[in-house]
Amino acid sequence: MKSLSAIRVFQIPGRTLNDQVFIMRLSLLLLAVVTTPVAAHYIPVESTPVTVDASMVMTWRSASLIDDYDFWQIPGTQMGGHAWPAQKGFSLDEMNLNLGYRIDENFFSVIKLGSHAGGHEDHGGIELEHAYLGWVCCDDTGPWVAELGKMSARFSPGVAMHAADRWFSEAPLAVDVFFGRHFHDQGIRLWWHETAGVSAGAELWRGDAFPATHSENGGAWDVFARYAWQGGRLSLEFGGWFYSASADARADHRYGGGHQHVPVAPPGQTAALFPDVRYTGDTYIVGLHGKLGYRLHRDWLVTVETEWMRAEMDGAVHDGINRQAQLDATQQAGWVQSALNWRRQSVAVRWEQLSTDNALVGAAAPQLGVQSGLDNPQGHTPKRMTAAWSWQWRDGVTVRAEAIRDESLLTTEQRWTLGVVWKQRLLPQGASMHHGH
Amino acid sequence: MISMMRNFPPFKKYRGGHWLFALCIFFLPFLAGCPEQSETRIDDMGASRSAFDWQLPAGIPLPREPESNPMTEEKFQLGRHLFYDDRLSVNGTISCASCHHQDKAFSDGRERPRGATGHLHPRNSQGLVNVAWYNSLTWGNPALGSIEQQVMIPLFGEDPIEHGINEANFEQVLQSLQADVQYAALFEKAFPEQDDPLFGDLAWDNIVKSLASFVRGLTSFNSPFDRNELSQSARRGEALFDSERLECFHCHAGYNFSDATVDRTTTTFVEPLFHNTGLYNVDGLGAYPEPNTGRHEVTGQAQHMGQFRTPSLRNVALTAPYNHDGSVATLEDVIRNYASGGRHITSGPNAGDGRISPIKDGFIVSFSITEQEIADVVAFLESLTDEEFISNPRFSDPWQDAE
Repeated sequence: MKSLSAIRVFQIPGRTLNDQVFIMRLSLLLLAVVTTPVAAHYIPVESTPVTVDASMVMTWRSASLIDDYDFWQIPGTQMGGHAWPAQKGFSLDEMNLNLGYRIDENFFSVIKLGSHAGGHEDHGGIELEHAYLGWVCCDDTGPWVAELGKMSARFSPGVAMHAADRWFSEAPLAVDVFFGRHFHDQGIRLWWHETAGVSAGAELWRGDAFPATHSENGGAWDVFARYAWQGGRLSLEFGGWFYSASADARADHRYGGGHQHVPVAPPGQTAALFPDVRYTGDTYIVGLHGKLGYRLHRDWLVTVETEWMRAEMDGAVHDGINRQAQLDATQQAGWVQSALNWRRQSVAVRWEQLSTDNALVGAAAPQLGVQSGLDNPQGHTPKRMTAAWSWQWRDGVTVRAEAIRDESLLTTEQRWTLGVVWKQRLLPQGASMHHGH
Repeated sequence: MISMMRNFPPFKKYRGGHWLFALCIFFLPFLAGCPEQSETRIDDMGASRSAFDWQLPAGIPLPREPESNPMTEEKFQLGRHLFYDDRLSVNGTISCASCHHQDKAFSDGRERPRGATGHLHPRNSQGLVNVAWYNSLTWGNPALGSIEQQVMIPLFGEDPIEHGINEANFEQVLQSLQADVQYAALFEKAFPEQDDPLFGDLAWDNIVKSLASFVRGLTSFNSPFDRNELSQSARRGEALFDSERLECFHCHAGYNFSDATVDRTTTTFVEPLFHNTGLYNVDGLGAYPEPNTGRHEVTGQAQHMGQFRTPSLRNVALTAPYNHDGSVATLEDVIRNYASGGRHITSGPNAGDGRISPIKDGFIVSFSITEQEIADVVAFLESLTDEEFISNPRFSDPWQDAE
């Protein structure tokens, strides 16, 4: 519905039919790129009850963020989930296959298989990311929608996006650090769905997704609200959310998380084994986001987006030999990005920053601070700047190049990327693809 | 060029404010940035402070000191004199050092030691290396958590008799110490808050505390492993040691190579760990020969049969023979027993197949290993030998030094 109304806005009186068709196609292409995924949460409609979508992102990178056999740990943070570091060479960043099925007037279901690049070969397998049943009431896509099963979170635009949806191949630092990049969990969602520009809802999660754990005292929940408005040349969207997670002995499953290993290493030297420091406690994250779009001309569109997150951690870090320290942390992260589109070309820039304010108290605080990554003796404030150029080469195929100045670690890294993004609706053929996550 | 740009449709049609607005939007990220500085504040609550110079390398946390017996150099020195003093026994024949030789990392090289009256001890004499970091002090007693408690067992124990001091002779033993003028000065320095520390009611308490202070101060962290000076063979052995195939590192864990390690950074209560390694199985149900049944001797619980505390592997190459009863002669044989998943004794009173013990530890599973790999693991274990520790005059016999 939004796409059609958007096209009507850009119809220019006095143009020929061919011009009109061209403009419509162009607008569709542009919207395919810039539409915010959250605003386009996908619900199969009765007119096309079965839809199959696919996407794939492949990227070549000029350099790795860290050395081989090293651990990616941003100073001052305790990472986890699927936040693997960028690696030199070709990488299949992600591959998704999504099946949507409208069961009847009120029910629908979604199944999605996904694969994401990992730090090790055995972490790049195919995962069932979505398998959920939805119920809609009172309209084809709402306003009331309830969903139950394994699915992605909708509370944050940044968390919901994948590499095929973003201007950039790499996830924001804030999403990597606070949510372990990908958020798929079993849960239930009830929301007021994109009605008169307003969406609001709540989600309850089992706790399989970082930073929560699925355990007796684990689990997570969130609430969110946002508003989208469009008028004339201007489009606007803003919102906020609150997320709460509890964790019991949460591990960094990128490198540890099995039975706890106590590394054997000479004093003061880096252990060959990963120091499996766990976190038990609560995490509260609040987020604000906004997006402004301004259409200069039928061929020109400029957008600016931002999301800011503030995380509070109240718990303890501990290890396998009964060492522990209390953690009281406040960490903030966010990004601002803008994009300028001209026909099939676009340039985009993103600026990111992460700041940490941690307090570790306990006899083992010095050791656990180092091993968990929470210590930050140099007061490093991670930053990253990314510039990207995209070219819509064919319908569904985009070529993307990026230049990245990465200051997430103590040393500044520069890398280049060149990649291909393929997004296609396979069924029904000829239809435009949704941009849901 | 400029005229071309002016004729470019967007510039031609949408000059001025629109473009300025659009450019402002686009370049907004370049203006972003928070001056906020990151910080991590660390408070170890005094865990890294001590009045005693422990002489530890960076990275090793301080051991716990009992509130009733904080470490001082004066108590350490008094304890050193007592440790090497034969007069501290029923018949003046043995001292602590009789079964704890410095050149053998304070073990004695024998299968099992004899006490002052000739009693054969059922247990192998342990090395005294980094004892301060143990959470239980003997091979199999989970209730024995302080060195002060442990010191009294060899001094006053009756089964077996070691030093043989008892109610009948303790005054005589004490008098022999009091007769030495050197002790008067040492006791006064060690316990300046007492009026008469050698002749008063607290004399034996002071002896125990001083001996405990000396034993607590026996620290060893200067091996080739600590200096990262491993041979190629030792490096291969280290990798094997840390591998899931051999599983060594699970029990011989951390900087002291024992999962019975505590320090100031660990939580207050740590449950002592004991393991049955499948060394015996005399009844087919996993029994160990009496009276050496380990933790079971204290608790009487069947599931504790044959469970012993994991010894540190620091200086282990000097402390042969091995295991709680000294029944395994070499490190190679120890490794072979683990490779078999237990020890199979085919004849004699202790015959039995420890490999099929139903109560052995879950980490004692058989694994394949070549003779070269055994040699590599032994090379790694030998790299844990601290030559400075076994020759350090600070830990040596002061009576001999004085001669």
